[in-house]
Amino acid sequence: MEEKEKKKHRAKHSGPKAEKKRKRYLNDLGIGDEENARKRNPKAFTVQSAVRMARTFHRTQDLKTKKHHIPVVDRTPLEPPPVVVVVVGPPKVGKSTVIKCLIKNFTRQKLVEIRGPVTIVSGKKRRLTIIECGCDINTMIDLAKVADLVLMLIDASFGFEMETFEFLNICQVHGFPKIMGVLTHLDTFKNNKQLKKTKKKLKHRFWTEVYPGAKLFYLSGMVHGEYQKQEIHNLGRFISVMKFRPLTWQTSHPYVLADRMEELTNPEDVRINPKCDRKISLYGYLRGAHLKNKSQIHMPGVGDFTVSDVSFLPDPCALPEQQKKRSLNEKEKLVYAPLSGVGGIVYDKDAVYIDLGGSHAHEKEEEEVRPNHELVQSLISTHSAIDVKMASSKVSLFMDSTPLGSEDVGQEFVMPKEERQVDVKTGRVRRKAVFEDNEKENDDAASDEEDDQEEEDEEEAVSEDGSDGDDESDAEEESERVLLREGVAVRRAKRLKTEVAQEEAVNELPAFADSDDDLEMSSEEEGETVPEDSEMEEEEEGNLQRTYEDESSDSEFEAANKRAETNQYGMNRENTELKSQISEHSPKRKAVLTTDSGNCTAEEASESEAENSSLEEGDDEGGSHEELEAEESDRNELQHSQAKKADSVRQTKVKTVDTEDDDVENLLREEEEYEEKVDLSADTTGALKWKEDLTQKAAEAFLRQQRSTPNLRKLVYGTAVEDEDQESEDADDELGGLFRVSRPDKASRQKANALDCSKFLVEKPQDWDLEEVMSSIRDCFVTGKWEDDKDAAKLLEEDEELYGDFEDLETGVVHKGRAAAAGEQSGSEEEEEEDEKMSKPEPEEEEKKKERMDKKRKLKEMFDAEYDEGDTTYFDDLKEEMHKQAQLNRAEFEDQDDETRVQYEGFRPGMYVRIEIENVPCEFVLNFDPHYPIILGGLGNSEGNVGYVQLRLKKHRWYKKILKSRDPLILSLGWRRFQTMPLFYMEDHNGRQRLLKYTPQHLHCGAAFWGPITPQGTGFLAVQSVSGTTPDFRIAATGVVLDLDKSITIVKKLKLTGFPFKIFKNTCFIKGMFNSQLEVAKFEGAAIRSVSGIRGQIKKALRAPVGAFRATFEDKLLMSDIVFVRTWYPVSIPMFYNPVTSLLKPAGEKDSWSGMKTTGQLRYERGIKLKQNKDSLYKPIVREKRHFNKLHIPKALQKALPFKNKPKNLEKKGKTPKDQWRPAVIREPHEKKISALLSALSTVNNYKIKKAKVKHREQLKEYLKVKQKEDEQKFKRQKEAKKKVYRILGQREKKRQKSSLKGSSKGEKSM
Amino acid sequence: DFEASFIRLIDKVTNGSRIEINQTGTSLYYQPGLLYGGSLEHDCSPSRGIGYYLESLLCLAPFMKHPLKIVLRGVTNDQVDPSVDVLKATALPLLKKFGIDGESLEIKINRRGMPPKGGGEILFACPVRKVLQPVQFTDPGKIKRIRGTAYSVRVSPQMANRMVESARGILNKFLPDVYIYTDHMKGVNSGKSPGFGMCLTAETINGTVLSAELASNPQGQGAAVLPEELGQNCAKLLLEEIYRGGCVDSTNQSLALLLMTLGQRDVSKVLLGPLSPYTIEFLRHLRSFFQIMFKIETKTAEEEHTGGEKVLMTCVGIGFCNLSKTMR
Repeated sequence: MEEKEKKKHRAKHSGPKAEKKRKRYLNDLGIGDEENARKRNPKAFTVQSAVRMARTFHRTQDLKTKKHHIPVVDRTPLEPPPVVVVVVGPPKVGKSTVIKCLIKNFTRQKLVEIRGPVTIVSGKKRRLTIIECGCDINTMIDLAKVADLVLMLIDASFGFEMETFEFLNICQVHGFPKIMGVLTHLDTFKNNKQLKKTKKKLKHRFWTEVYPGAKLFYLSGMVHGEYQKQEIHNLGRFISVMKFRPLTWQTSHPYVLADRMEELTNPEDVRINPKCDRKISLYGYLRGAHLKNKSQIHMPGVGDFTVSDVSFLPDPCALPEQQKKRSLNEKEKLVYAPLSGVGGIVYDKDAVYIDLGGSHAHEKEEEEVRPNHELVQSLISTHSAIDVKMASSKVSLFMDSTPLGSEDVGQEFVMPKEERQVDVKTGRVRRKAVFEDNEKENDDAASDEEDDQEEEDEEEAVSEDGSDGDDESDAEEESERVLLREGVAVRRAKRLKTEVAQEEAVNELPAFADSDDDLEMSSEEEGETVPEDSEMEEEEEGNLQRTYEDESSDSEFEAANKRAETNQYGMNRENTELKSQISEHSPKRKAVLTTDSGNCTAEEASESEAENSSLEEGDDEGGSHEELEAEESDRNELQHSQAKKADSVRQTKVKTVDTEDDDVENLLREEEEYEEKVDLSADTTGALKWKEDLTQKAAEAFLRQQRSTPNLRKLVYGTAVEDEDQESEDADDELGGLFRVSRPDKASRQKANALDCSKFLVEKPQDWDLEEVMSSIRDCFVTGKWEDDKDAAKLLEEDEELYGDFEDLETGVVHKGRAAAAGEQSGSEEEEEEDEKMSKPEPEEEEKKKERMDKKRKLKEMFDAEYDEGDTTYFDDLKEEMHKQAQLNRAEFEDQDDETRVQYEGFRPGMYVRIEIENVPCEFVLNFDPHYPIILGGLGNSEGNVGYVQLRLKKHRWYKKILKSRDPLILSLGWRRFQTMPLFYMEDHNGRQRLLKYTPQHLHCGAAFWGPITPQGTGFLAVQSVSGTTPDFRIAATGVVLDLDKSITIVKKLKLTGFPFKIFKNTCFIKGMFNSQLEVAKFEGAAIRSVSGIRGQIKKALRAPVGAFRATFEDKLLMSDIVFVRTWYPVSIPMFYNPVTSLLKPAGEKDSWSGMKTTGQLRYERGIKLKQNKDSLYKPIVREKRHFNKLHIPKALQKALPFKNKPKNLEKKGKTPKDQWRPAVIREPHEKKISALLSALSTVNNYKIKKAKVKHREQLKEYLKVKQKEDEQKFKRQKEAKKKVYRILGQREKKRQKSSLKGSSKGEKSM
Repeated sequence: DFEASFIRLIDKVTNGSRIEINQTGTSLYYQPGLLYGGSLEHDCSPSRGIGYYLESLLCLAPFMKHPLKIVLRGVTNDQVDPSVDVLKATALPLLKKFGIDGESLEIKINRRGMPPKGGGEILFACPVRKVLQPVQFTDPGKIKRIRGTAYSVRVSPQMANRMVESARGILNKFLPDVYIYTDHMKGVNSGKSPGFGMCLTAETINGTVLSAELASNPQGQGAAVLPEELGQNCAKLLLEEIYRGGCVDSTNQSLALLLMTLGQRDVSKVLLGPLSPYTIEFLRHLRSFFQIMFKIETKTAEEEHTGGEKVLMTCVGIGFCNLSKTMR
């Protein structure tokens, strides 16, 4: 093959390759195409048309500004609440399957049944709350209001259904959340082409509804009853990276999508009256805005309530702590869905169970990694009981089965650990047995792997506990948690902790150790814990790093100690009592923090203690046993306080805050103590030292702050006013100027109360003649001293430095700045360079260098500022401002713990809160169905009121009927759904609001109703009924709120008619319009009109027939005329406001709420026919034949008329009379002959002419024939001649062409 | 008496409020309506100054349905209430900080009236706003000028000049830029009772206005006051006010706090002097009405010569928006 002779390469002459080559060749020559020319010579292509350029500029600018939104302050919290994903679609489309698949995708768990919201951790920074939305319109409306993301499921085999469109419209009204379409049932298509077509069709329809380019997902087939894994994974990815826009309503109102409900009513009350109002608590993530305690909320489907209590709980489905990993741990993929039985609680018809064995995998996971988590859960489960203290329904429930002791409470959360293998169903039964095991294990201190783990957990807990005192941020919850933990079966853990506490106590406070129990306990336990200590030694090192320098931690440790003590007592007690203790603790601790601030003395401290103890006494209303206990604890505390008094050097508590009294000595000593303590505590506290440190630091920072703020806060917001007065009297002497004035003595206070005057009277004016007093405010004036960076002199100096050197151009004199004049060597640049070359880094020079750099930098900054200023627009400025505000919002309360933050700003979104509500109708509890979402929507100020609301409304195009005024209509406005009776109106040009009987077909109109006040600009939608399903589109109207008021002026037209009874010229008397003279007097001067259009005016009432009056018109009336006056009659709006209470309906009937019926409906149901007014019935119109009289013109007039207009009524001519007839002619015989001859001659002549004509015609014919022949011949000849000529011509042409072709080809070549 | 007048005023500016007072006058039932506004007139009781009424109107006026334009008649300056002059000088700049500004924001004194008979007349106009802006108002700045008015009605015009003289004597030690207007009303503009007084305002470079005022004893009550003495005392009161300092005048502390509370859901900060008892009471009311608590921090100035300690008040607004304003 190779031997074969190779073909020679031939250069291509055509085709892309040749083209390319040619181009390159041309480029090399420098003569490229147009594009290149533009590049080569840009000046030639600058502006071709100024108009066009302006247009393009405008267009780009338009596009740019179109992208702008009104900047809003970003108020999203640092840790946002889970994103609410609503899965919506018609029935049987695969909603729950999608949810299940998603959950499985994110958490690797399989939920059997989905009820209520499911919260999962989907990513490092994203949590999702997935909820299914049925096709009940109530549910759809409610969920559209809280949704962040809507997964709209569409059955591709069927196409769009009404539900889809309805939901889209609902969304549109209540702020448009992100919407993602999901096509399912795609496997039903056998034909691929058909499938493609359908997809495309559906996609385009979807785009028109949402926005062009909206994401539409395709879930193709089912595999074992689930969607394909990859597709679900992709869907999940899309969900977890989605960005959301803030919706106005949602960001301005707090709301909670409740994922748990508990009843807290006293069971006794329920027993006495099963229909009594209930007290419930609801749990969920707070979203939207900050929620304040005691604020008003609305539960759609139930009604308005006032929050009786709010508390925040640790997050049950927390985001993982910040790690640098890319993906989530298996353990961090949490799921929380108490209503579906995940998270430990199962709802039954009338009871709440804690599901212990349920959802194995979940529990396992949790407990392996996050012991805290399950603690939290257990805590939640008992929390209600804590607050109710005695007899919450839940506790009573448990009592039915087993007597509840403190052990039991503990067991509840240790349970899941041990019970992994226990069956779901038997979980409850088995509980006891497991606990025994647990205890045994604990006692044995067996070295199981599990046990080890547990130990670690406990250690963690202990260390946490240690830090707990410091850690203000976790305030109550943690303490509760700790207490609960301690009080229970996990004996050892508790002992460990108490031991720690004891040791500290021994070191620190002999007073503490006085109580013999403690000593005993500690001695006992010390022995036990030794081996464990050795285990933990490895982890000791970190502990040494702990710094307890601050006094604050000192007190905190004491607090911990105290708690430990009380815990010991509480050990044997009942559950409820424990709780009461807990509740006692929180105020106590608060008191420690707040009361002692500022000017606290030991006495005061003791006072506050006493107060606390008295409080505790009050709290303990249990049995005698409990009281005893309480007394004991009280005594303890009293002891503490006494000890403190005596031990003033130690300054146990007072020390924490009272900085002024702190001696250096004290500090030193404390440090020593701490070091000791550290050593000791190091043995026991292990695992979470770093964490501890963090929390401690935070606490320290916080405490410092607290200290700095005087008790002003307490002064302002102190609970008891009397207390305050006392204090102020006490403290009057001690405090500086600030406090003295701010605390008026009683007299002045009374005076202020009496006068209610905002003026701030000066009690003791300073003597402003004194020099030192004067000097105290010297710097308040511009003449005083300024701060360094603002001082005018300094600024001037700097300026001098900057601009000092300049050359007077006119005179040529070089002025040098002062600095230069002072002998600066490096005045000019060359010198600078020289300096650099010399490279003697003398300190002086370096300084100068620095200065120079500074100068340069400043100049550059100034230049930048000046230069950039041109670019900044109003929009940018606004955006910047908003951004700053957002930063401030975030930063302001960041360093404070949740407890105080909540006080200042309310519960912030993202928190998991528990909301207690009282006076809930019993049906809500009895008919509770977790499938229906419970939403708590916070109401703004005065949004709970009712008033008149004016709307702009438009009937929906797809709704088939028109709406009638005063027919009941169900509106969804704000959080609420309610039935009301709107009046429709149109606004005239003069601002008059005129009643309409029906809504116009395709036009906006006004509507006014009596109902809840909702801010202007809120969208609403109306439906006629929420019950059942109708085949048609259900949304009747949409619109927006325009105005709120307490009174409204809608008028309808009222025409009063009257009849003339006496007519003069233009004046006439009219009766029958009014009933009295008074009425007439009111309408004097009003314009009236007759039916025939004659206008007039009411003048004055007449005496004779009552209500008659005199009127004048522009013309004379007829007696047959009807006169009317147009008046406007105000219409009252029916005060009907009926919230839709769909959630109160029994389960299964929740979508069948029907409120007030329209009269039409009622008539239809009852079969009542409307009695019609006979006059308004239509009758066949009979028209008479009209007969017109003849027009008669008077003679005189006729005479005067011009001839043209005169009636021309000419009479018919009669027969001509005989005398006018003409006579017949009789000829002579001679004359007869002549006439006969003449006629004969003419006949002959006629014949001759005729003959001649025929002859002539024949001749002509002949001639034409001959002529034609000749022509033909001639034509033939000519043709032949032409042919010849053309041939010659053609040949010649050919020749020429040939020659020219040759020539041209040559020419091309030459090119 | 003045309470009744106040209730009548409230009734005038609102629509749909229900007020019931029992026969003995010991209990009052008040159901609030919507703030309506519009052009109104009101005769205030001469037992309290117009300032008493005006203060509450200042709180309400930005949230009316229609811009408020009200003529109040009564006592413009007295010893108890903040006078109209002071409110004009201090409250209006404060309102402007919260975004309530425009042409129509004004207080105009048509006639002066001194106690006991009054006879003064003022015009107060305020535009309406949908939402208030949050403020960060923590740097009072240095005082750049001192202005003031010395007024005298139905007494010798010389009184005013004498007051100015003495006040300047004190204030010029601190600042050269002191200018005190003398305002002598005559004829029908001078009200029904004789009297004189002075109010001083200190303006800083950052727009903070601090004020002090004094008025003579009303006719027939107490001893006659020398104008020189009054001028001196007034100047000293101003110095006292400056000593207290803060970004808001002590009279308007409560107004500032209220407007902060009613702002959007953003953090607002303001630096105040020591809280007056009225303000403290007001803060308690704010908590009971709006569940809002202020973060209160004490600030001691680093420099020595800037007066007493200050209080930094911080709060998050409740996101109030004007529910009565009509949308078009």
